[in-house]
Amino acid sequence: MKMAPNSTDDPRRPIKVHRFKAPAGGGPAEDITHEYMNLLGMIFSMCGLMMKMKWCGWSALFCAFISFSNSRSSEDPKQILSAFMLSFSAIVMAYLHNPQPMSPPWS
Amino acid sequence: SAALAANQYHQADIEDNEFAEFEDFDDEGEVIEDDSDGSIEDQPKVKVMMAPEAEEATGSSDDVTVEDDEDEFDHFQDEDEFEGFDKERPLRSKAGDKPQELKITPVPLHLRTKWDNFHLEMLLLAGVAVYVLNFLAGKSKNSRLAQNWFTHHKALLESQFALVGDDGTSTEPQSGVLMKDYENAYSLWCSGRVCCDGMLVTLKLLKRQDLVSTISRFFKPASDQIIIKVDLAVDELEKFVFCVANKKVASKMQKDLVDLSSFTELKKVVADKLPPSLHLLNEVTEASSTVMDSKFVQTMAKYESLIEYIHISDQYSGAKPTDDSQEAKIEPSPALLACFNLPSKGPGAGDMTLVEPLMKLIFHILNRLPHIHLSREAREKTRKNRSRMQELVQKAAHTQRAEAAQIRKEERKRAEKDRIMAETDPEKQRRLEEKSNKKDARKKQPKMKTMKVKMS
Repeated sequence: MKMAPNSTDDPRRPIKVHRFKAPAGGGPAEDITHEYMNLLGMIFSMCGLMMKMKWCGWSALFCAFISFSNSRSSEDPKQILSAFMLSFSAIVMAYLHNPQPMSPPWS
Repeated sequence: SAALAANQYHQADIEDNEFAEFEDFDDEGEVIEDDSDGSIEDQPKVKVMMAPEAEEATGSSDDVTVEDDEDEFDHFQDEDEFEGFDKERPLRSKAGDKPQELKITPVPLHLRTKWDNFHLEMLLLAGVAVYVLNFLAGKSKNSRLAQNWFTHHKALLESQFALVGDDGTSTEPQSGVLMKDYENAYSLWCSGRVCCDGMLVTLKLLKRQDLVSTISRFFKPASDQIIIKVDLAVDELEKFVFCVANKKVASKMQKDLVDLSSFTELKKVVADKLPPSLHLLNEVTEASSTVMDSKFVQTMAKYESLIEYIHISDQYSGAKPTDDSQEAKIEPSPALLACFNLPSKGPGAGDMTLVEPLMKLIFHILNRLPHIHLSREAREKTRKNRSRMQELVQKAAHTQRAEAAQIRKEERKRAEKDRIMAETDPEKQRRLEEKSNKKDARKKQPKMKTMKVKMS
């Protein structure tokens, strides 16, 4: 921290320094996509696991990806890892249960 | 013998009856049942009395005997009928042989489904790959833009602030740290300057790392934003609220923000000072005219498209809480907020240096704020506004407290009633009821002051 002389036109005041405090409300760029996508991913993977529906597993995987890309950098990776693991296991279970290729909804 | 008699009888009336063949069908059934001698050989040769016209159809004049099973399936052994049929192999082993041992050839699980049937899965995997590639590309582009902005503005910031780039975690204030909140949001804290406690610059870039929002940007265009929030020092400044905002967001801001909605009026046209696309939300005309000096007006005219809003307020307390009780009220504090949009298309796209003159304007305003002095009337007007607001806030808080007390009282009364009802012993129940009635009666009585007079 450069100590600057207090000349008249120099606005810097080293003594008036305040440390950074993260704003309580979560700052201006508060983003809710992460939570919603995480929740949606959990629901899809539950459906995929229980009802063995392949498209549920795949959409859970995409939801996990979207929530990962929108998550805070200071977010702990455990939650994102669990979302990925859950959706991946939903896909595997669906294909183990019925190894047929998934029929596209339009055919 | 009875069966034969039955046959002759039927024989006679077959000629004049068209449903002869059906009746014959029944006879056959009867014949089997009536066979009294009970000696059914292993391969019974059943005599079938065909009706005369049925006999011509089969061409054989004498009675037709049911062939044995073997001959009936002769045509299965016909070589030219079936390819690759070898006659020598016995069609069916004799009844007494050991049952042929069943040989199951191991069939692989996916015999029927070959890998190229999985069209949709390949499509989805390609989608995942595209998403990951876009994530990496977007992430690196955003961090490059942020770094580019920071290196370009570092000199200017360091000339204004004693501390630039502290992240508040380490014990000793650091400098030069650009904090990363999201993949598309970076922030920088600067502090140590006259008349302000600190400045938080947030680079809210486009979500280039998320494919979904990249696609949604085709329909709803958006742009990179730089949001500046300067916490002003409490004592050194005049009290007024002033805001210049882009017309798209001006009315929305006036509705959402507490201080704008309670102190300012919207002025759509400010003839000589603001370009048409910028509206003014102002409390005291004196304050706005001193803030909007020549430099301010030039910058506004020149960078009109980049300005989202510039908001100076001594009562800034964020947006209106959606539900009063849920969000804690933020204490109003003086602040200067500014938001600039960077062009996402066209010549200046991705050029973070465009914002420098606007940053300089912010520092220019900061330097002028302490020198703004309102006249006595203006000051009186702002003081009145604030006291009116104060009363409103206190009244709202008071009604809220009263409601809470009311709810608590009702709950207490209900709990007491429940206790009385739950009381099993009638004697105790009656006494409790009497006590609560007496208490209610006493409450209803008009309050009389009893005065003790000492007779001296």
